[in-house]
Amino acid sequence: MSRSTRITIVSSDTQLASHIELRLQSKGYQASHMPCSDSVLGVLYSDPPDLLIIELSSKMGGDEIVRTLRSDSFFSAIPIIGLIPESDFDTFQWGACALDDFVHMPINFSELFVRISLSLARIKRIFDNNPLTRLPGNTSIQNAIEDAMGKPLMVCYLDINHFKPYNDVFGFAHGDEVLRMTARIMFNAVRDSGGGFCGHIGGDDFVIIIGSERFEAVCQTIIKHFDMIVLDMFDEETKKQGYYPGTNRKGDKEDVPLLSISIAVVPMNMPKLRHAAKVAEVAAELKKIAKNSAGSRYVVDHRNT
Amino acid sequence: MDDKRSELKKIIMDTKTLPTLPGVINKLNSLSDNDKASVQEMAKVVTSDQVLSARILRLANSPSYGFYRVSTISNAMILLGVNVVKSLALSSSIFEIMEKNSVGLWEHSLGVGVAANLLARRLKLPECEEIATAALLHDIGKVIVSIKCNEAEKEILKLVRDRGFYIREAEREVLDTDHAEVGGWLAKSWFLPDKLSEPVAFHHDVVKSENHRIKTSVVHIADVLIKASGFGNSGDCHVPKIQQVAWDTLKLNEQVLSDVVDEIEDKLVEVKNFSLEMIGS
Repeated sequence: MSRSTRITIVSSDTQLASHIELRLQSKGYQASHMPCSDSVLGVLYSDPPDLLIIELSSKMGGDEIVRTLRSDSFFSAIPIIGLIPESDFDTFQWGACALDDFVHMPINFSELFVRISLSLARIKRIFDNNPLTRLPGNTSIQNAIEDAMGKPLMVCYLDINHFKPYNDVFGFAHGDEVLRMTARIMFNAVRDSGGGFCGHIGGDDFVIIIGSERFEAVCQTIIKHFDMIVLDMFDEETKKQGYYPGTNRKGDKEDVPLLSISIAVVPMNMPKLRHAAKVAEVAAELKKIAKNSAGSRYVVDHRNT
Repeated sequence: MDDKRSELKKIIMDTKTLPTLPGVINKLNSLSDNDKASVQEMAKVVTSDQVLSARILRLANSPSYGFYRVSTISNAMILLGVNVVKSLALSSSIFEIMEKNSVGLWEHSLGVGVAANLLARRLKLPECEEIATAALLHDIGKVIVSIKCNEAEKEILKLVRDRGFYIREAEREVLDTDHAEVGGWLAKSWFLPDKLSEPVAFHHDVVKSENHRIKTSVVHIADVLIKASGFGNSGDCHVPKIQQVAWDTLKLNEQVLSDVVDEIEDKLVEVKNFSLEMIGS
C-alpha cells in the first residue's frame, strides 16, 4: 500500500485512546481518536478510515454506531474491532453487533496488532463487493436470488441504455462515475423505501430485490433520480440537443441519445419459476421489451400470473 | 503583504468544516427526530444555509465517493442518502456567540439565493438550481474571515463603520485579499465544481469569470438587488452598481429587471417568515 493505513479509535476514555493511538503510530499506522458522541458518525461518514477500533463497554452507545455504520453497504468494507471488558463477554450481544473482531480490556497490545493485520487481510480476501460501487457482487447476488425464490419479492435487473457509446465518447473515468452514481441512487431508493437487497453484477448491470408491494414506487424513484442526475454527466450543448455524435455497435456514425435506465422486474412467487438460473433468462427477454422504447422505463413479467 | 494571503490560504486548506446557526441545527434536529420528515423538508432547511450546503456538496464531491461534479443539494441528497445527510448535519458545530452579523449575513445569503433563482427562471436560463446554489454560497468567504480571522474582522468592520469603506475595500486593506477570493479558495479546496466556485470567486468582478460568466452575472445582479432591498446584512450599507458586463451577458433590459424586482419583493416576505422561524427557534 502506498499510503499508511488509517485507523480511527472511538472511546470516551481519552487516556486509553491516546495510548492506543501512540502504540499504533509506532507501528506505522496513521491513527487518530475521538470520544464516543453524536458527532462520531458524521465524522466517519465524511472521512472514512481504513479500520475502526471502538470501545463497547455496556454503558456507552458504541454498538449503535457499529449498527448504523454497518447498515450502509458503502461503509461495510471497514473492519471494526471492538474493545470489550472481559466481564461483559456473557452479556454482550455478539450476534447483533457486526464486529469483525474483538480485543478484551485491559488490552494486550501484541494481540491487538495481530487482530488488526488479520482484519485488514480478511477484508481484502473475502470481500465480494464490486470495487467500483462497493455493492455486493455475483456470489452474494446468487445467494440472494435463491433465498428470494417463492417469496413475495421482486427481482429487478437494471441496466443503463446507451452506456457503451457514452464510455467510448466521454471516457472510462466518466463511465465509472455514471456507474457509481447509479449504484448510489439505487441503494438509497431501496433503503429509503424500507430496505432490500442491492447488488452489482458488473459493468452496467445491477440487481435489486425488494418486496412486491413496494417495487413500483422504488422503480419510479430510481428512474426519476437517474433521469435528473444523469444530466450532470453531459455538457450544456448535449443536454439542449438531447443527443451527441457517437458510434453504434456496427461502427457507424450515429446520434446517441442521453443515458437512460431500463428495469426488468421478475416476480419471485410465480409457480413456473423453479430455479434461480431461470430468473436471469426471463429478465433478458423483458429487457428487450424495455429497450424498445426511448427513455427510462420498467417492465414487469406478467406472463405466468 | 504576500504573507497574509498565503497564511490565509493555508488556513483555508486546513478548514474542513464551518459553524452554522443554532436555529438551523435545532430545526434539523427536530426534523430528524420525526421519522416521517420528508427529504424535501430537510432539503428546504439545508438549502437555506450556506455552510450546511457547502459541507454537503464537499462530501458529495469528495474523492472517497468518486462523483466529480455534484452541484445541487437535491442531487447531493439523492447520492449521499438521507441518513448520511442527517448525520452530517447533526455533527455541525454552531456559532458559539450569536452575533447580529452572522444572522444578517445568513439572511443576505438566503435572499441572494432566492433572487438569483427568480432571475435565472425569468431569463429561462439552464441550470437554475446550480445558479441558486452558487448564489447561496457567494459570501461564504465572509464566514471564513469571521471565524478564522476574528481580529482582522474587527478591523475591517471598523474601517467600514468609521471611514465608510465598502467591505471589500476594507478586506483588501486589512487582509490583502477579499471575501470573494477567499470563498473561491474554499470552494476549490472543498472540491466544489467550477460552476459553483467561479461565481463565488468573481461575483464582484464578473469580467474575470471566463467559463461560467452567465452564472456569475446572475449572482452579481442578485447580490446588488438584495443589497438594494435592504434584506439581511452583508457587512456594509453600500449598494454597488450593476456591472455593465453582467447586464450585457444576460441581455437584460429595464422591463425584465423591474419585473424581477417585483417578484423578489413578494418572495422576500415569505423568506422573512421562514427566516424568523429558523432564527427564532
